[in-house]
Amino acid sequence: MKYMLKFTFSLLLILVSCIGTAQEVKTLDAAERSAAKKDSIVPKKERYGIRFGVDVVKLTRTFLEKNYRGIELAGDYKLTRKHYIAVELGNESKTVDDDQLNFTTEGTYIKVGFDYNAYKNWAGMENMIYVGMRYAVSSFNHTLNNYEIYNPNTYFGENLIIESGEKFNGLSAHWIEVVAGIKAEIFKNAYVGFSFRLNNLVSNNKPENFDNLFIPGFNKTSNGSFGAGFNYTISYFLPLYKSTIKEHPKKKK
Amino acid sequence: MKKILLLVLFIVGATSCEKDDICDATTPTTPRLIIQFYDISNPTTLKPVNNLRIIAPGFTTGFSFTGVSKIQIPLKTTENTTTFSFMQNGGDTNTTNDNTDAIQINYTRENVFVSRACGYKTVFTLNNSNGFVRTDSTLPDGLWIQNFDIITTNIATENEIHVKIYF
Repeated sequence: MKYMLKFTFSLLLILVSCIGTAQEVKTLDAAERSAAKKDSIVPKKERYGIRFGVDVVKLTRTFLEKNYRGIELAGDYKLTRKHYIAVELGNESKTVDDDQLNFTTEGTYIKVGFDYNAYKNWAGMENMIYVGMRYAVSSFNHTLNNYEIYNPNTYFGENLIIESGEKFNGLSAHWIEVVAGIKAEIFKNAYVGFSFRLNNLVSNNKPENFDNLFIPGFNKTSNGSFGAGFNYTISYFLPLYKSTIKEHPKKKK
Repeated sequence: MKKILLLVLFIVGATSCEKDDICDATTPTTPRLIIQFYDISNPTTLKPVNNLRIIAPGFTTGFSFTGVSKIQIPLKTTENTTTFSFMQNGGDTNTTNDNTDAIQINYTRENVFVSRACGYKTVFTLNNSNGFVRTDSTLPDGLWIQNFDIITTNIATENEIHVKIYF
């Protein structure tokens, strides 16, 4: 199973890098063509800076759902014309009320990775249609509020709900996310964006006599190690410096 | 853009209608006590019971077994003792041929996590000294259960025999 995961991930990694290179080649070609056409135009400048924002979905759920509280801060830093370093930092607390179990999970997570922008912006814009990857770590604990003994034989009466309150502390999980999303400027320096994420657990430190049924940042886990996520961010771009778009050496051949 | 939309739709579809909160009947949960009946005169031969009626004190309904040599009875998950009356020929209408032995099963319990859908199950460990105790009923008609063997004190699955009874 472990090997299969490794294999799947290597494959995903290769696929993502393929998408990356494919896009790069395309845009280079476009750049070549445009550069060839307009040789004597004033060099374009691009702004570099930090964008930071907050996940609106988690905030909304915090106000609407009684059993949920969560916040996620998201930030990215433009490293090159196409590459961004991206970080999400979050904290979640959720009470899950299932037929057989009622438990509360609380924890903090951080996701670090990169985004590759496949969208060719006009000068002065930092819109994104991107793919990316994250490595995520979550540290959390569960409180088992109550549970039911499952007994298919009810001769001695219906199954009792047992109040527990048992705590499972010091748990952690690591996973990798493949991200796809967009970010668009709505006002000057203000952006909205959403992203979809496919997650795969790399390690999952399970407690004795319970399971990590909910992992902050990863979401609900079912039998497999795959998960999916979604976020909707509102963010602000803080420009730090401007840089002239470098002319690619390839163009001069 | 169309491709992205399709991907979005696929992800939403794949994640939204996930139903995993029904405990599958094939999942091993709280086990019953498995008893197999053997012939006292030939202790390696299985002997099917005839009209065996098993009922807990104070209950009006019970379990009836006939023509089988292997039976399953539930244990209480809230107490460390379960008592049953094993009534030989108790399943037929004739009450004159009945012979009742009282069986007391003493054990310790542990609740073990199964899954999100099934919650916890209880597993039992029979006491070494008095795990399975047979006494004659109030009506002194002698013991029809001649002998018994505890094969395993660990009642964790229904896939094995826990107690053998010879009659």
